[in-house]
Amino acid sequence: MSTRRNILKGAVAIGALGAFAAGYAEPVKKITRGKWSGKVPRKHLTGNAPEPEYKVAANGDIELNPDQAVSYAMCIGCTTMCGVRVRVDKANNKVLRVTGNPYNPLSTTEFLPYETPVRESLVALGQPGAGDGMLHRSTACGRGNAVLDQIDNPRRVLKPLKRVGARGSGQWETISFEQLVEEVVEGGDLFGEGKVAGLREIRDLETPIKADAPELGPRANGVVMLSSVNDGRDNMNLRWLKQAYGSTNYARHGSYCGGSYRSGSGAMFGDVKKMPHAKPDFEEAEFIIFIGTAPGNAGNPFKRIGALVAEARSDGKLDYVVVDPVLNHAQSGPSGDRSRWLPIVPGTDGALAMGMIRWMFENDRINKDYLAQPSKKAAMVAGEANWSNATHLVIADETHPRMGKLLRGSDMGLELAEDAKAYDDSDPYMVASENGPVPVGDQPAPLFFDGTVEGKEGPVAVKTGLTLLREEAGRLSYEDYSEACGIPVETITGLANEFTSHGRKAAVNTHGGMMSGSGFYNAFALMMLNTLIGNLNWKGGTLMLGGWYPDTNGPAYDLAKVKGGVKPKGLPLGRNVPYEKTSEFKAKKAAGKAFPADGPWYPNAPGLATEWFSSMVNGYPYNIEALILRNANPIYGIAGIEHLVPKLKDPKVVPLIISIDPFINESTALADYIVPDTVMYESWGFVKPWNGVPTKITTARWPVVDPKVERTADGVPIDVDMFLIATAKRMGLPGFGDEAIPDKDGTMHPLNRPEDFYLRGAVNVATVGGSSVPDASDDDMMVSGVDRIRDQLESTLKPDEWRKAAAIYAKGGRYENKDKSYKGEQSAHPFGKPMLVYNEGVGSARNAMTGKRSPGVPTWREAEFSDGSKVAEVYPQSDWPIKVISFKSPLQNSYSVGAKTLLRIVATNTLNIGRDVAESHGITTGDRVRLTTPGGSIESVAVVRDGVVPGTVAIEHGFGHRRFGAADITVDGITMAADPKQASGVLQNDLGLIDPTRAKPGVWVDPISGAAVRQGLPAKIEKLA
Amino acid sequence: MDSSRRQFLGAIGQVSIGAAATVAGANSASAATGSASDGPQPTGPKWGMVVDLRKCIGCQACTVACIMENAVPEDSFRTHVSVYEVVKEGRDPAMVMLPRLCNHCDEPPCVEVCPVEATYKKEGTGEVLVDASRCVGCAYCVQACPYDARFINHETQTADKCTFCIHRTEAGLLPACVETCVGGARIFGDLNDPESTVSKLLKEHEVSVLRPEMHTAPNVYYIGLDEALDGRVAGEAAYRPPLTTNIDHHEEGR
Repeated sequence: MSTRRNILKGAVAIGALGAFAAGYAEPVKKITRGKWSGKVPRKHLTGNAPEPEYKVAANGDIELNPDQAVSYAMCIGCTTMCGVRVRVDKANNKVLRVTGNPYNPLSTTEFLPYETPVRESLVALGQPGAGDGMLHRSTACGRGNAVLDQIDNPRRVLKPLKRVGARGSGQWETISFEQLVEEVVEGGDLFGEGKVAGLREIRDLETPIKADAPELGPRANGVVMLSSVNDGRDNMNLRWLKQAYGSTNYARHGSYCGGSYRSGSGAMFGDVKKMPHAKPDFEEAEFIIFIGTAPGNAGNPFKRIGALVAEARSDGKLDYVVVDPVLNHAQSGPSGDRSRWLPIVPGTDGALAMGMIRWMFENDRINKDYLAQPSKKAAMVAGEANWSNATHLVIADETHPRMGKLLRGSDMGLELAEDAKAYDDSDPYMVASENGPVPVGDQPAPLFFDGTVEGKEGPVAVKTGLTLLREEAGRLSYEDYSEACGIPVETITGLANEFTSHGRKAAVNTHGGMMSGSGFYNAFALMMLNTLIGNLNWKGGTLMLGGWYPDTNGPAYDLAKVKGGVKPKGLPLGRNVPYEKTSEFKAKKAAGKAFPADGPWYPNAPGLATEWFSSMVNGYPYNIEALILRNANPIYGIAGIEHLVPKLKDPKVVPLIISIDPFINESTALADYIVPDTVMYESWGFVKPWNGVPTKITTARWPVVDPKVERTADGVPIDVDMFLIATAKRMGLPGFGDEAIPDKDGTMHPLNRPEDFYLRGAVNVATVGGSSVPDASDDDMMVSGVDRIRDQLESTLKPDEWRKAAAIYAKGGRYENKDKSYKGEQSAHPFGKPMLVYNEGVGSARNAMTGKRSPGVPTWREAEFSDGSKVAEVYPQSDWPIKVISFKSPLQNSYSVGAKTLLRIVATNTLNIGRDVAESHGITTGDRVRLTTPGGSIESVAVVRDGVVPGTVAIEHGFGHRRFGAADITVDGITMAADPKQASGVLQNDLGLIDPTRAKPGVWVDPISGAAVRQGLPAKIEKLA
Repeated sequence: MDSSRRQFLGAIGQVSIGAAATVAGANSASAATGSASDGPQPTGPKWGMVVDLRKCIGCQACTVACIMENAVPEDSFRTHVSVYEVVKEGRDPAMVMLPRLCNHCDEPPCVEVCPVEATYKKEGTGEVLVDASRCVGCAYCVQACPYDARFINHETQTADKCTFCIHRTEAGLLPACVETCVGGARIFGDLNDPESTVSKLLKEHEVSVLRPEMHTAPNVYYIGLDEALDGRVAGEAAYRPPLTTNIDHHEEGR
């Protein structure tokens, strides 16, 4: 940092409030007024604090409080979905407070052995527990507690709503559930604007959605569903949309969350659709580089990483560096040099990574023992925990029809097995040898080769993947990399040195900071650092999620398959497939000019909700007829989407928008119908963690309070599950109704209400994986509050099943014990496929707009628009000298603003401005400033910080709302006025760019991952009078 | 930092004076506690807290849990975590998260100023408490507290503060903030028991207290507290946003 202060310049409180209280009274006046001028609290010493939920004596005896329940359930206050213990005031059906479930690894570092009786788990948390009750301390975070407010939020949608007047007008009427189901299924002139096709009509599995383009699939693909995140109910969504309804278009929020990271990781892990990823072994690593992710500040699993890193930097063996444009809670001053901050220019992480990679090649600091193993067999022989394709040969010959692909046996004229086809799994990859290319075997192979070999149709230039990576890293000098990322050369090489000085007990970790215009390659390069030291599946290195106990596919019931179900067909709305599969390509090729396509395609990306919106407003590749949003808020979450909103308000563009959501968020506000949903501790579900737990884990959620939502005519709470069940039954779709779920004997069971699905799922969780959990005892059920659902368990399940399901709910899920994390020095749940140093899918694909290929190895690429032009040339630094980024705090997320307790702590966001920017613009803390990008402009208050990299402005995500409570809501003619506190602050996504090079409008996305770009937006700033 | 900025942010900027008091260990800590432990050897617990600042991640779990547990009214906190960006000579900026609460002092300045003996230090376990049935809400104690840990509860019109969750500790449980501390920074226990976790920590680590110059003999100790921050307890700090509406402020607000 250039800003060295010559004295201790000060400690600037940022973020949270510094003061306890607003003030105090004028004393004399008070004394004369006498006591009890206010309300008398419940108790003289402890005020209105409720009675404890239980008492524990020194000998460990427990005395339950009969007025309260303590139940192990699941928080859905963020995407981590921790197992928590929920304290319920039974008489008032109210959750009082939440802490952690001590069986659950997401909430507990030293989680209890699963066989511990429920009663003993309560003892462990009291003063008689180990470590004075703190060894098994199990926590809920601040947000996790504060979002309880959402259950009783006065703006919560509790009844089905239908819009009144124009779309987005903010005017609603309540309708019955039965009317809701009828109207969305049957359609008609629903809004007095003309006929709207209903779901029944759109479900045409024969007629092409677009004439002359059968590859796009049938009209049914015109119903698309965006479910923000799997909160444990995604299987029901997928069952409905794909297998029952027959549409292929299902996506989650990843392409506007951390999609570029996932894609970069997926490229290395060999699956760009499911995008596997690993996490550092926080407990055993000696050195970690956090870059674009911030343990303890945000991230997933938030608490687990925060706790493990805090422990490791204090009493453990971890030193780490946080590489980030903004100093955040991931760094800890009191931990001294064990925790360091390295500022970096936004969006340039790939330059740092490639500089480090260059140094590692030049200084022989790559793990050759690992990288030389070309196959699983070879890895086993060598005692390695994984292998890679570093040694596999790649066709590097522009004249070859398979340029960019990995060399295979058939390319060399090798004879294949009898029923094998060229390039299928049995067609061997080739490695170099003294006698030319040979199939991969059980021996190590040469790491580097660059030459010409004799293929079956003549000479072919080939190189190993590692050779290509070395070339790519050597393409630029250290000085080039340093100039790009703003980190001195000696720091880049020093970091590489330190990273490679711990054997395999070092790791790189990243996430949302990758959402820049170079995001895919930045993430691919950072992840490759892990592969170059061979740390995957090693204690202290990087580990996969340990797995889970699935609810849908167990020995008791088959909840995954649908008898008579549909297999969806056709290309997806998000264009995440090769352009070459389209009729458009074929027609253009026949006309002599295959490129450019009418819009970008992303063959190496997963489902892309971000791109859906460009597709919808442009009808490219096809028009859709109905958008179903499920707790999703793309209008708030996608940078730059505001430019597309006017078109979405036109019912001709998307004729039917249904939002299933407990709140009216910015996207729900555009819906034609809103379906209420259960929140927090009111619903059923099963989840596995996103990542970061080395043992098997399934967290269970069950209604520990009565849902506040309206009931159907049959008395079932209205939520996403019930809406899907009811619409499916009305359309007569397969997989729902009286004969829906087969058990192991083939006997069919009903799916008429949510518990039909989830209670059977609980039996699967309890019995899957070759072992079964013990039955819940009466005491387990009493202590855990599962008594509450005992009748439902007994009436739904078989006599030998229901106590097993009860056991799952009594302990809030099923968890493998901590001592199953490792086998010796290796992970007990290793990733069993190779790391791809070279990804041939990436390396052989042509960009649909430019017709050019991209490297199949990591590289540093400046941010680009879709036609390949450099962003820095379209918007030069002379006009746009600043880069803007967003970051997350530990408190607020995109849907928590209604939790009023959070706003007590941090009431708004500001513009965090680097000191150099402030000084050059005459800005001081507290000034109002205007920040402008080519995409938009916002005005806010400046906070000048040394902890922001030069040239940068950083904005916390989660504020700047226009809906939730930020706007008036009128239902049945009665208006609830807006609460300006919920409108506080600014939204960085308002600065997001439309890609100026796209003929069909769309937001700026990373060219490979197709994920929205919000990091490193070009901007300028001015001080306001 | 120029003066206008300092003013905007409140009373911050320069380092506070005075070295952090270092307490060698639990024995000397309890030996030094004076008044409360006069007389025969104590038999029951004396509660204390060690806050390991290396482990605090500033997540405010404690802040929110305390609000939920104790029904703390709007605009007030019994505990919370101040978050600082500290810039020191020759060093990169660093983050410090500083959990704050009542220090349950053995020499509590708040007790002696109470005109009606509503606030007192509990024999044995040592919590500093307010009997709301006696309190007249004069706020002398609010002014006297060097830790800014008290406030007038605008619902009850009486002095309010952290009780170390006495209703929970008497039930064999832990204070709400301790139960839910994500980083494991808050460690609570019996200072009289040399085998307790807190006593062991006090033996093994160099610890400091806030406002050592006030000689309040606090029972909240900090591991890793920079001298620059040991005075940082009063209503300094954060950027407070311009209020966007007329929030229903208690009259006694500043």
